[in-house]
Amino acid sequence: MPLLEVRGLVKRFLGVTAVDGVDLAVERGELVSLIGPNGSGKTTLFNCVTGYLPSDGGRVLFRGHDLTGAAPHRVARLGLGRTFQQVSVFGRLSALENLLVFVQQHQGDALLPRLLRTPGVRRLEAQAIERARGLLDLVGLGDRAGAPAGSLSYGQRKLLAFAAALMPDPELLLLDEPAAAVNPTMINQMKDHIRALHRQGKTVLLVEHNMDVVMDISERVVVLDHGQKLAEGPPDAIRRDPRVIEAYFGR
Amino acid sequence: MIARRLAVRTLAGLAVAAPWIVAAVAPGQQRYIVHVLIFTALFAALALSYDLVVGHVGSLSLAHPAFFGVGAYTAAILATRAQWPFLADLAAAILLAALVAAVVGVPLFRLVEHAFAVGTLGFALVAWIVATNWVEVTRGPLCITGIPKPAIGLPGGATLSFSALPAYYWLALTALGLVVALYRGMTTFRLGRALHAVRDNEPLAAAAGIDPLRYRMLAFVVGGAIAGGVGALYAHYLAVFCPEEMTIGLSVNLLVIVFLGGVGSLRGVLLGAVLFTALPEVLRLAPTWRLVIYGALLLVIVVRSPEGLAGLIRAPRPARQSA
Repeated sequence: MPLLEVRGLVKRFLGVTAVDGVDLAVERGELVSLIGPNGSGKTTLFNCVTGYLPSDGGRVLFRGHDLTGAAPHRVARLGLGRTFQQVSVFGRLSALENLLVFVQQHQGDALLPRLLRTPGVRRLEAQAIERARGLLDLVGLGDRAGAPAGSLSYGQRKLLAFAAALMPDPELLLLDEPAAAVNPTMINQMKDHIRALHRQGKTVLLVEHNMDVVMDISERVVVLDHGQKLAEGPPDAIRRDPRVIEAYFGR
Repeated sequence: MIARRLAVRTLAGLAVAAPWIVAAVAPGQQRYIVHVLIFTALFAALALSYDLVVGHVGSLSLAHPAFFGVGAYTAAILATRAQWPFLADLAAAILLAALVAAVVGVPLFRLVEHAFAVGTLGFALVAWIVATNWVEVTRGPLCITGIPKPAIGLPGGATLSFSALPAYYWLALTALGLVVALYRGMTTFRLGRALHAVRDNEPLAAAAGIDPLRYRMLAFVVGGAIAGGVGALYAHYLAVFCPEEMTIGLSVNLLVIVFLGGVGSLRGVLLGAVLFTALPEVLRLAPTWRLVIYGALLLVIVVRSPEGLAGLIRAPRPARQSA
């Protein structure tokens, strides 16, 4: 059984069919990229899978759970992590707190222990801080732990958002354009991070515009065009596929 | 850190000793000044409960007068018509206000931003109209009168009475202390982080597994419950409660205290409560110019320190790194 299975997903906006019956399966441990020209429905598909948009048809199955119609926080707690295309951090919280937010809801959310700060909660907090510091070091933000996230540079915020998504150790990570609008050095950094995740056995589904990144790191590429699946296969085959070339460059 | 703790303890000590200090410094004015102090403590507690909603989950609610009124009427009616003991009617006031907040919160939070503010304003207006016109229960404009001063029965048959002004002040101060403790517990550590995550970026909070509605409701219900409790203390103190006490004017006062004191900041809200409860009283010395001076001061604060007074006393923040 695939880790994530999307069956016949449909999403319409005022008569425009943004996602038109897409099937998609991601196996455990895979690194799959979703590509397609602007407006082909990649991000809409992401948002339907993670509960941010209600879909108009089809089903989403994740680890055997039916996610169709589930609220975003429920999807996240089942182990499906995501990042956003627009850099998204909690601006007034420190970099460290940004990461801590991502783990606490997965560790029991009874109100009273948190209000009274019981020893159990304090222990979890100490472990979370340790893990968060490790992740900040990993993305090179170790010395910015106490800085308000809003004061970080664009690239730093992007790395912070990436580290935050890793915090709860999600089963499947959906990355929405991690390499968009960052400088080449940081693109390489991001590529290395994603590759490292893949090596550790993480399952990653990537939406990306940067073809170098996609072709370089993906195992399998799925091409969307006008809301439909146009092609699917290993990067080399996709690169030569005439339908894909046509969709991207025109005839 | 140690200096700060010392400052906090000194201020707390001064607050506790205030009636004695007043008696020593201005014996002729004691009743009046302690009365202002009681109002300040009650308004500080009310403003903190309001800040839980507007400051920490960022929902601009104008419903607070309604919860205040529900608490005040519950306590007043139970104490006068059913002769309930003080602690029982206080508990009933808190629970009923929380219940009302929970019931209206569900539909109100389907609205966002400005629509939410207007929805809560509408609810506060309805509550005020009900209080004015449901004469059988609230006596409407005739007000509920003869609300007894609180007394707590102690084991062994003794009673602790709060009929003297300083005693009532200490009761109000104790209530404020409890509210401060609850406010701090809710706005720091994991709980506070969840509230702030919802305030700063709701979609991202959801991606972190946080249910935004749950935390908005938590702040709204706890805030409403505290407002109900303060309403009960207020009614018991004044012995009279009228519908005019729960008009939109109360929301305006709370907005001034919270936003000019420092939204989302314990220090700021306390400072705002002290300043904006005491200031209008001090300004009575110049009756003609009172409102002009008050308005001018509000303007100066808004212009000089958009973050509120807390922004002025806070250590300067490190300069923002350019994006």
